[in-house]
This record gives sequence, structure tokens and C-alpha cells, in this order.
Amino acid sequence: MKLLTHNLLSSHVPGLRPGGGFPLRIELGRPSELPPEPSPGYEADEEFLRRLHHVLLEVEVLEGSLQCPDSGRRFPISRGVPNLLLSEDEA
Amino acid sequence: MAEAEAAGDAGLAPAAAQDGAELAAVIGATVPTGFEQTAAEEVREKLGSASRISKDRGKIYFEVPARSLPQVHRLRSVDNLFVVVQEFKDYQFKENKEDALKDLEELVKTLPWTDPLKVWELNNSLKKKKTKRKKHNLQSPASRGKLSDAGEEGGADQNNTNDQEDCAQNAVAVEPTGGQDKENPQGVTSRNGVEEEEDNEQSEVKAEVQASSESGSKADEGQTGEGEAKVLRFRVTCNRAGDKHSFTSNEAARDFGGAVQEHFQWKADMTHFDVEVLLNIHSNEVVVGIALTEESLHRRNITHFGPTTLRSTLAYGMLRLCDPQPTDIIVDPMCGTGAIPIEGAAEWPCCYHIAGDNNPQAVKRAANNISSLLRKNESKDSTALGVPLDVIQWDICRLPLRTGSVDVVVTDMPFGKRIGSKKKNWDLYPACLMEMGRICTPGTGRAVLLTQDKKCFAKALSRVGHIWRRAQTVWVNVGGLHAAVYLLRRTSEPAQDTRPFW
Repeated sequence: MKLLTHNLLSSHVPGLRPGGGFPLRIELGRPSELPPEPSPGYEADEEFLRRLHHVLLEVEVLEGSLQCPDSGRRFPISRGVPNLLLSEDEA
Repeated sequence: MAEAEAAGDAGLAPAAAQDGAELAAVIGATVPTGFEQTAAEEVREKLGSASRISKDRGKIYFEVPARSLPQVHRLRSVDNLFVVVQEFKDYQFKENKEDALKDLEELVKTLPWTDPLKVWELNNSLKKKKTKRKKHNLQSPASRGKLSDAGEEGGADQNNTNDQEDCAQNAVAVEPTGGQDKENPQGVTSRNGVEEEEDNEQSEVKAEVQASSESGSKADEGQTGEGEAKVLRFRVTCNRAGDKHSFTSNEAARDFGGAVQEHFQWKADMTHFDVEVLLNIHSNEVVVGIALTEESLHRRNITHFGPTTLRSTLAYGMLRLCDPQPTDIIVDPMCGTGAIPIEGAAEWPCCYHIAGDNNPQAVKRAANNISSLLRKNESKDSTALGVPLDVIQWDICRLPLRTGSVDVVVTDMPFGKRIGSKKKNWDLYPACLMEMGRICTPGTGRAVLLTQDKKCFAKALSRVGHIWRRAQTVWVNVGGLHAAVYLLRRTSEPAQDTRPFW
């Protein structure tokens, strides 16, 4: 799973408050190499843009999980593919 | 010209290749029916040529300099290619069968074969270069074993295949002598047809090596026969449509073939042929051509098939229909083996493609096909890191995607014949359209959906008129089934958030 994909994902566990499913927390124990907020004028900062591109499109989460922020429900990521299916009773 | 020079350097018969490169070739291409216009647009965009769309559905014609053949082969909306020998817009067939067939036979010697044959030769030299690249990825010892198997399976002419095996083995002996990696016993694909093609190339290559006398003494052993002009093997394939003909396609192929054999003194061979002559008859329109492709291009990106894998050419046509813009997010929420997103990522790398399916097998196959694509990219271009494509396992009715976050939805909807059922479609289609409407950006979003269950689709669409507007319909043929591709535009109405999504 790429980071850019994660940006589009939202938990769909029933019964959450609006917006309660985003963003999913990525659990894999590796710290981010980027600052928490882009600094002003980042559009012109080529070095920053390269690192951003790399982290968004070239880094993959192979094993780990995504956690719904409100419900705590975990969705596994296995061999690079996140499984966001809900079980029969959840849906 | 550069092309011809390169071919000359590789030791191929220089004269023919050079002549060929300068010619203006009229190329015929078969495309998925319904997508002729899309294919014509791709031809104009990539080759600069205008196309004619024939009444014989699924074919377009365009003229290019023969040296553009490599670009022609890279067209993504095209299944098969041929070079036109001659076209007859209004051929008058005699009513009597014998007379009509006799006319076809007489036609052969009047046709302008020379230039198209040069184009065909030039095309062959391109194919050799392509298989050379394939060879690098595969190993010789295994392939030699497989080649012998192919020889036994080949069937039609036992003597022929034995000769080919001999050729192959001789080529192996030649290998160690310097600068002849083109004679490597090549890597084998699993298809018999392709192996045979490579066998042919083997003997042709050796013939040329003989001629240019570059090889060491080993090459001469047991190959004196090959040095002379090789007798070409051919077959005629006839497609006939229309109700006023007094003959069948088999009869036409047989008689036309007989005349071709007389005229060229070629050897007729239904399975191991060098030249495939095409005789396409559509009412009064007759086109004689020579095939330039053997294996259909349409499965090119897929290595792991599923039960209903979509042709890449059809996937390409569907994607073109949604007019992808750079930075568009393109989602296939029922991706199956991933044919559409993979074609998308290959051809529109400035967009981001997401493939999803609920079936674990499908997800696995899609992921495998992506890995194959990555490996293919690696060998071609070492700087290409990663592909703008991701796979997720999800439920189409409950997509874990943020509202309005996607620009394009493009998918092959379950037909209810091979996958799912008509009854399931009745519930599935409206739910799909709602979810797809939710994730799509209001105003600018669009969807391109392929389905055979047109009735169910039309009904479902009528219930979501506030979200989706029908913009265009393309009637297509998928595996013999009459299907439709619908282009829908997302209205400006924001999605109702009845569920607690972001």
C-alpha cells in the first residue's frame, strides 16, 4: 500500500461520527522522515518535493495494519494489500 | 532510414530492409468493435495519420511510412495488424460460384505484391529484435528442452519440425563464436505458435549469417541448404460476411491460396507459415492483406489470467473514453485480475490508479500482474521506481474511500453469466452506482462502465439520475456477448452522507 492511497482511505465501520473514520492510523513502527507540516513555500523546495514524492509513491507498506481512529477496529495489510472488508456482523 | 541501417548492421539482408523503410505502407488494424473511433484518435495522436473506418466493423486503415512500424506495434487500441496489398471498394462478384472463384484466382497475379512484401520483411526484422529482448530474460538449457517438445507437438509436418530442431541445435553450436548472440536458442513462451515463429527466425537468421559471411566455420556445417533463398511457407485466411456471395470463405481461401502458390511457388502450410495472406470480404468490399502480427496483442499486460480477464485493448479503449487528465485518481472497484488499472498505469502514468476487489483470488492475481509489470519495467528502464498503482481488498457496496475523492471510476461490471447472477445484479447495480457516485468528485467526475446486463443497468441508472447523467454509449462485443460501455458524468449534486463517512 502506498501512502498516497492511504490519503484516500477512510474507515467505514458503521456508527461512526462524520469524519470519524479518517485518517486511519498506520501501524508499523517506523518513524516518518518528513516534518509534520510542510513549511511555507514548499512548492519551490525541490529537495522537499523529491522526498515527498518518494514517500507518497515509492514507499510501500507491506505488512502492518490500519486502525480506525474512532472505533479502534484494525484492518490488516498483508503482502502490500490492505484488507478493508467488514465482517458479516459488522456491516 | 535509421531503422534500415540498424537492420543492416545486424547482418540482415540490407537491400530489402532499406527499400522497405522508405515505403508508404497502408496498414489495416483490427480493434475491439465499437472502439474504432478511439483507435483512430490514438493513431492520429501517436502517428499523425488520419484513419479510415471501414464498414467491416472492428477495422481501421491508415497510411504510415514503413519505418514507423515499431510505433505502430506499440498502439494500445489495436489487436492485430496487417499490411494492405489492395482494397476494392466495390468488387463485383459473379453470381455463379465457379466464375466468382475463378475471378479471385485471376486476381492474384494482378495484385501489387512487391511493396507490401517488403513491408512484411521489414516487419520480420523488427520481430527478431523483439524476441532478442525476450531472450535475455530466459535461460538456454531449459528452452532447448522445450523447443524439442514443441517440435513433437507441432504435428502438421513431421519433417519440417525435425528440420527446425536440427536448425536449433546447430544454432546452439554456433553460439560460442563471437558476436552472434542473435542466434541464441531463444527463450520460450508457453505458446506453440510463438515458438514456431522463433524457429523460423532461427533458420532465417542463419541464412543471413551465411550470406554476410560473418560467422565462423561452425555455422557452415550442415547448413548449405539454408544459404540459398528459402522457400516461404504461407497460408490464406479468408473472412467473409454478407449474403450475396455464392461461395464460402473456405472455398475462397482454398482457390485464392492455390493461385498464390502458383504465382509465388511458395509452399502451403496451415500451421507453420511465414506469410499469412488475408482475404477479407465484406459484401462488396474486398481487402487483400499480409498479416504483421501473429499473437494477438490484446493480452499483453496480463500474465496471470482469471475467468473473465478483459482484453487490454478493450481496457485501453474504456480508459480513453474517460479522458484521463494528469493527477486524476482513477479507481476500478471491481478489478478482477486488474486488466484496466494495469493498462491505465502503463499508458497514463501521470494519473494514480487504484484497483480493488472483494475476491481474495482476484486481489492476489491483480497483485501478481502488477509485480510482473514492475519486473518488465525494471529490465527496460532501470530508473523507473514503482508504478502509480495500488491494490486493495474491499466491498464495492461499502467502499472505504473518502467522499468525492476520486476523479474517474472505470470498471467491468459483473455480467451475471460467468460471474454472479442476474438476480444478484438487480441488487448490486443500484448499490454500486450509489457508492460510485459518492466517491466521485461532483461536477468533474466520470464513470466508464462495461456491462452486458443492459436492462438491469438502465433501470439502476434511472434511480440515480440525480447523481449520474448518461453521456455516451458504445456497443461492444466481449467474448461473443453483446455488451455496452456507458460513459457517465457525475452531476454537481453533492453526495448525501447518510453514512458516517468523511
